[in-house]
Amino acid sequence: MFFAPISKAVTEGASNSKDNRAGSWSLWGSAWTRVCLLLLVCVSMAAAEQSALVAAVVQNRQNPQDAQHGQQGAASFDELAGRAAAARDGGNLPLAIDLYGQAERVKPDWAEGWFYLGMLQYSANAYPAAIDAFNHLLVLQPGMPPGMALRGLCEFETGAYDDALRDLEQAVAKGAANQPRNEQILRYHLAELLTRSSRFQDALAQYKFFAAKKIEDEDVLVGMGLAGMRVALLTKDVPAGDREMYQAAGAAGYALLAENTQEADGLFTQLFARYPTAPNLHFFYGFLLFPHTPELAIEQFKSEVSVAPSNLEAHAMLAFSLMITGRYSEAEPEAELVLAKAPDMEMGQLALGRSLAEIGDVKRGTDLLNQVLQADPDNLEAHLGMASVYSRTGRREDADREHKICRSLAK
Amino acid sequence: MLTVSIRFAAAWLSRAARRGGWMAEGGRACAVIWMLCLLCTLGGGRLVWGQTAKSKTAAVTCATCHAGVVANYVHAPMRHAMEAAGGNPVLDKHPNLTAQVGGYSYSVQTKDGKSTYSVTNGTETLTLPIKWMFGTHSQTWVLEKDGHLYESYVTYFARGEQLGITPGDQRITPTNLTEAMGRKLPIWETQECFKCHASGAVDGAKLTLDTLRPGLDCERCHVGAQQHMVDAEHDNFKTLPKSLKKMDAENVSNLCGSCHRTWDTVMRNHWQGPAFVRFQPYRLEHSRCFIGNDARISCLACHDPHQGVDHNDAVYDAKCLACHGAGKVAAAETVAAGAVTPKICPVSKDKCVSCHMPKVELPGGQAVFTDHFIRVVKAGEGYPD
Repeated sequence: MFFAPISKAVTEGASNSKDNRAGSWSLWGSAWTRVCLLLLVCVSMAAAEQSALVAAVVQNRQNPQDAQHGQQGAASFDELAGRAAAARDGGNLPLAIDLYGQAERVKPDWAEGWFYLGMLQYSANAYPAAIDAFNHLLVLQPGMPPGMALRGLCEFETGAYDDALRDLEQAVAKGAANQPRNEQILRYHLAELLTRSSRFQDALAQYKFFAAKKIEDEDVLVGMGLAGMRVALLTKDVPAGDREMYQAAGAAGYALLAENTQEADGLFTQLFARYPTAPNLHFFYGFLLFPHTPELAIEQFKSEVSVAPSNLEAHAMLAFSLMITGRYSEAEPEAELVLAKAPDMEMGQLALGRSLAEIGDVKRGTDLLNQVLQADPDNLEAHLGMASVYSRTGRREDADREHKICRSLAK
Repeated sequence: MLTVSIRFAAAWLSRAARRGGWMAEGGRACAVIWMLCLLCTLGGGRLVWGQTAKSKTAAVTCATCHAGVVANYVHAPMRHAMEAAGGNPVLDKHPNLTAQVGGYSYSVQTKDGKSTYSVTNGTETLTLPIKWMFGTHSQTWVLEKDGHLYESYVTYFARGEQLGITPGDQRITPTNLTEAMGRKLPIWETQECFKCHASGAVDGAKLTLDTLRPGLDCERCHVGAQQHMVDAEHDNFKTLPKSLKKMDAENVSNLCGSCHRTWDTVMRNHWQGPAFVRFQPYRLEHSRCFIGNDARISCLACHDPHQGVDHNDAVYDAKCLACHGAGKVAAAETVAAGAVTPKICPVSKDKCVSCHMPKVELPGGQAVFTDHFIRVVKAGEGYPD
């Protein structure tokens, strides 16, 4: 398993370091390598964040509250902190954990200590204790990306998936994934969690990183297959009998995202032949094609709705793609079908609104586009539709206004 | 051919008669009779009835009825959006093109109607035949290597009559000979390239290069023309292609923009900067005077796609003055308050486009395009997105 070494590292020890299944990922086979690499989370923090952490640590050491600990307490803290760092640097994991724990009992507002304690607990697979340490850290340093990232990874291991998703998403958004190895770990776990919570598009955006960097691995492919075929599972929960299909789908998606488009087309064609009734296979291909060529995506969405007529997302994507390509008469019935079942679906409203406005029912069309704009005033697609309607009907001032909005949004 | 024309003529005449519209259709009927006479003359005055069954299907082309338009279109840029291998005026005129880009030397050689594209790093050389030549003036080539299609890394630019890096590829720094040869094209890009530069090259989602015909044929814009020919042969004129003349400016922009890029496409892709000045429908729609329901500002108001582009600026004055002429302005002022009144240019009434549609260089300076964003250009003003 691609990412298993992370959790197995401590228990399996050196045996994992011989595991070369994932190339450089075997580095994770050593618990201390893991610690060192995780340190990079901190090292690779943005300069401003590093400064903030250092400043906080310095401030903590100079905090007037220190006086409450007394001269004896301060001396004990410095000694403990020094011994803890030495144990950590010397690779003595249990001693380092013990000493950092002692130091934190003396001085509970020592942020640096909580960070190292959490990281060491994580390395020792003591996830609840690590979460507790990161909780303390994040009280002292709210929103600190490395702290959130590590807490998110621990929450993932304890099965607190919603918490893990919240933390990892924020950590990545704040720049925690700014070092190559960290980025792989964080994006993979984030993608898994996004898939689990049915945010498939966001998950694929994370997986795109692996294709762009040419990082190919079995678990990444399975995860990508799950996200592409819109199956809200973690890779570890995939039934053994289905794993091959998801991996093959992921491989096809990976090839396309890696811009090996001819290869991808061949792989998808093979998949369609092998799994002719599998839902969302055509959808996956169409979804990947859509940003580049809605014309080709249309063919896939059409195939998808013939395989799975009740696939509302596929109908919506088909309607939207037809609208984008100016095939308004074909888009209209598809979009009607979508809105009949999901009246609030924005994609359906946009597809039907623009299509109706273009083929003659300007009133209902603009009503639908305005409905979208009420909920989402900056929706470029709705403004494009309104600009077209006003231009076509000779409402010059309205058209000018909509054009200006579109230009502004497009920037 | 003659037989078919006669059948068409008969069909027109019978349609006119059925409508009781001899007066209305009189002009057309006269034209048909005139055409019959002409064809008889061209055919030596002999009606070869005996050949009808065998030859009529093969002989029918758009030119059978639309000879004048087709004759013009033969020379139109769209007809030559791709040049056929072996008949490429650009490469015939420049049989030995060379360039040095980075650490690579390029050579495009043409001999006996065959062109090859070579790139070398000094130790290794890659030479490929040029099969597909995109463009009439400046020209980029699509190359095939190991079953994959590549856009040539260098392009012939008419402006300096020399090779230079293909627009958009300046960001690429080749790391090997294949990358130096060209950019591997994704399937969607090959489809779009061939769809807009050739005919019969795309069938649904598949590229069908074996049936490719260089340049754009009538069906590309006149959807249904093929069916119309088949049906017309059987006196059925109910399946006429949609008349493009009746389209409003918005629809014409969208039709032309399917290759030249629409305003929507540029907005959706967040394209910015002078590199996109070459997308005329998008730039035109930026113009304050553009409004979708006014045919005077449609692409077709100034350009006949069946003919070459006229580079004489004065030719377009009448189009501008159709709205901005003194009489037109006076008329507009009488309409309801709130209507936009076209202004009269205080500087000149000649060669309007020379000021109001400035020329813009593409980044790299290899080519210049007329900016179709019609506006009052202020001195020192940068390129407006």
